[in-house]
Amino acid sequence: MRFEFTPEQEKFREEVKAFLEKELTSGTFEVHCGPLVEGPSREFSRKMAEKGWIGLTWPKKYGGQGRSYVDKFILMEELLKVRAPISYHFAADRQVGPALIKFGSEWQREFFLPRIIKAKGDINFCLLFSEPNAGSDLVSVTTRAEKDGEYYVVNGQKVWTSGGHQAAYGWLLARTSFDEKIPRHAACSEFIFDMKAPGVTVRPIVDMVGRHSFNEVFIDNVRIHQKFLVGSENEGFKQIMAQVDHERAGLERLMQNYPVYQDLIKISCTDPHLKKDPEFYAWVKNAIADIEIEYNVGRLLCYYTAWLIDQGKQPSSQAALTKAFCTQLEQRINDLATQVLGPSSSIKGTPNSKPPLFINDLYESYLWGPSYTLQGGSVEVLKNIVALRGLKMPR
Amino acid sequence: MDFSINKETRMIKESVRKYLSRKVNYTTVTDIMSGEDGYSKDIWKDMCQLGWTGLIYDECYGGTNGNFFELFTIFEEIGRVQLPSPLFCSVLVSALLIYEGGDESIKMSTLPHLIRGETIYTSALMDEFGQYDYKWPSLEANQDNDVIVLNGARTMVPYAAIADEIIVCGNLQGKNPTLFRVDPRAAGVSLTLLETLSNEKRYKVDLKNVKLCRSKIIGQIGSGHDYIGSVFDKAIVCKCAEMLGGLEYIVDATVAYAKDRHQFGKPIGSLQAVQHHCATMATYLEGSRMITCQAASMLSEGKRCPKEIAMAKAYISQAYKASTWLSHQIHGGLGFTSEYPIHLYYKHAKVAELEFGSGWFHKQKVASLMGF
Repeated sequence: MRFEFTPEQEKFREEVKAFLEKELTSGTFEVHCGPLVEGPSREFSRKMAEKGWIGLTWPKKYGGQGRSYVDKFILMEELLKVRAPISYHFAADRQVGPALIKFGSEWQREFFLPRIIKAKGDINFCLLFSEPNAGSDLVSVTTRAEKDGEYYVVNGQKVWTSGGHQAAYGWLLARTSFDEKIPRHAACSEFIFDMKAPGVTVRPIVDMVGRHSFNEVFIDNVRIHQKFLVGSENEGFKQIMAQVDHERAGLERLMQNYPVYQDLIKISCTDPHLKKDPEFYAWVKNAIADIEIEYNVGRLLCYYTAWLIDQGKQPSSQAALTKAFCTQLEQRINDLATQVLGPSSSIKGTPNSKPPLFINDLYESYLWGPSYTLQGGSVEVLKNIVALRGLKMPR
Repeated sequence: MDFSINKETRMIKESVRKYLSRKVNYTTVTDIMSGEDGYSKDIWKDMCQLGWTGLIYDECYGGTNGNFFELFTIFEEIGRVQLPSPLFCSVLVSALLIYEGGDESIKMSTLPHLIRGETIYTSALMDEFGQYDYKWPSLEANQDNDVIVLNGARTMVPYAAIADEIIVCGNLQGKNPTLFRVDPRAAGVSLTLLETLSNEKRYKVDLKNVKLCRSKIIGQIGSGHDYIGSVFDKAIVCKCAEMLGGLEYIVDATVAYAKDRHQFGKPIGSLQAVQHHCATMATYLEGSRMITCQAASMLSEGKRCPKEIAMAKAYISQAYKASTWLSHQIHGGLGFTSEYPIHLYYKHAKVAELEFGSGWFHKQKVASLMGF
């Protein structure tokens, strides 16, 4: 076993770090802890595209770099450390591309993959999965895509659509079989959906952080040409199973509040105020070390999942276990930081007025907290997957 | 990053597992524990002949110059079946203390016999409070011409009664820590068998005016600081290996039980609460494997890795212990009996958590390595 990176990988990491440092000093973006990934910034995505950093793992014949998932995680780790604004291409890079490579038609690959890789044209995708009555129970989706000649007519409603108000395209899961005898998991299909089509209404939902980050999407008689059906009709769930590991396994599930964590460490090491009471300070040290240990465990679990994907495995249980572990840790980081700072951490603070002991975005992070263990599959659902798929426990 | 185990290590793992599955079951272990010696002489002989004891030592001492990760793998398999034996105290801790602290003559005179299993060594590293006091030893060592006189008490010493020599660390007239070899049968040495949570025989060792000649000093006087820490590093990681093996067993056994045991007309493994407990245990196992193998791998490459070692011990101490608690929950009443092996792991997890520094100690270490 080897727990270190190769010299080439270290060099790659340094290259990414140097690029990000340059972007930060020139003020392209600021470091913030907010939603899963920050952005969107077409500009930033284009810069990444120029370096070949979108579609890093995709086969060369589709314009990708054909590199390993471990390499991709190195890239992601550095991007996430500074919360670089990658959301414009994030969904396309993480799961749309891989899904099209695996299941897409030749036309879909030729149309979308080069655009995604070069960040040219509209490539910001949102995910149209959840519905008001189909969250954890995704097979219960009722949005319909009914065949009408060469088209599908889509009617329904989606919810929690992050970035739906900005996206050019949606990755849609809809029912295409209405035969009662067919089990529900064999009755859905995946489509690429035009978010700007007439009949699409996007309504903002304000989250408890006070932000508009996700939406309801109402779909009223929207016609999709059949060339936008991805893979086979009624194979939607099978296809999703292959995609969802990529969605779950990433370091973005560990690092959503990474800057908060680093600030906590910095403040705790250096601020004289916190050292005034030696008994309290001993607790602070121990509590942070506890987080540091689990952060390291989580990081290794993420890289292990990447390595498994590189070995050609489909690590559904491992990815689920890793995401559950990492997202729970993210919540504990926020919790500890507020306990270390004390009551003044309840104050949001403004650029002109902050308490003397202050961690940027801790206030927002704490409000984002409940979403960590819910988005992309709740911890409870993930544990079900570990038990049923990983440990083969009976239903 | 490479999470695969190489072919040689895998072969060792498979052969050790095969041997242990043939020779060791729950009854074997309980028989050993209730016997007088606390280990099986037959199995010990096999372990020595199979090369487990000489793995990390040079060929000139009868070893096979293997690597540390392979030894880690052996301890993992031993932890899985909870086999009590002097392997840890003799071959790992004591032999390493001699190997790293001693001069060539003592190494040549002791290590070959030790590796062949003809002699058994143990080390008495804990004071009466259970503290590892090797940095400021409480054991007094006074020199009177060529005779050293030792006074003090040690506790939780494994296999003291069958040991040929006990290694202790003493405070030689105010100088830095010095290691000595003590004959347990010498005048002034009294051994008290302790009833403990450990599956090994553990003793309190009292030293009252125990006389040693200078040849019983290991290495240079006061040199203990130089190498005891490094021996501890390897001991901690091999303890983690035992714990990892025990944790693997616990997860496997508990999931198997949950699939088998029926209540309410169905296997209890179909109940979500039980499934989530098992998923939690599986997560503890995967995380523990990552963090302990990291330390073992780095040590194996000769890298200094104090933070990785501290993280491994702190994490698996909690993970293994918590998993034994969950295992007991799922096993219900049956797991609480002495007929089921779960209690062995429950106890092992607790003893291992407390030995070689528990969570608090290692977290403070991590904190200081982080810059606190």
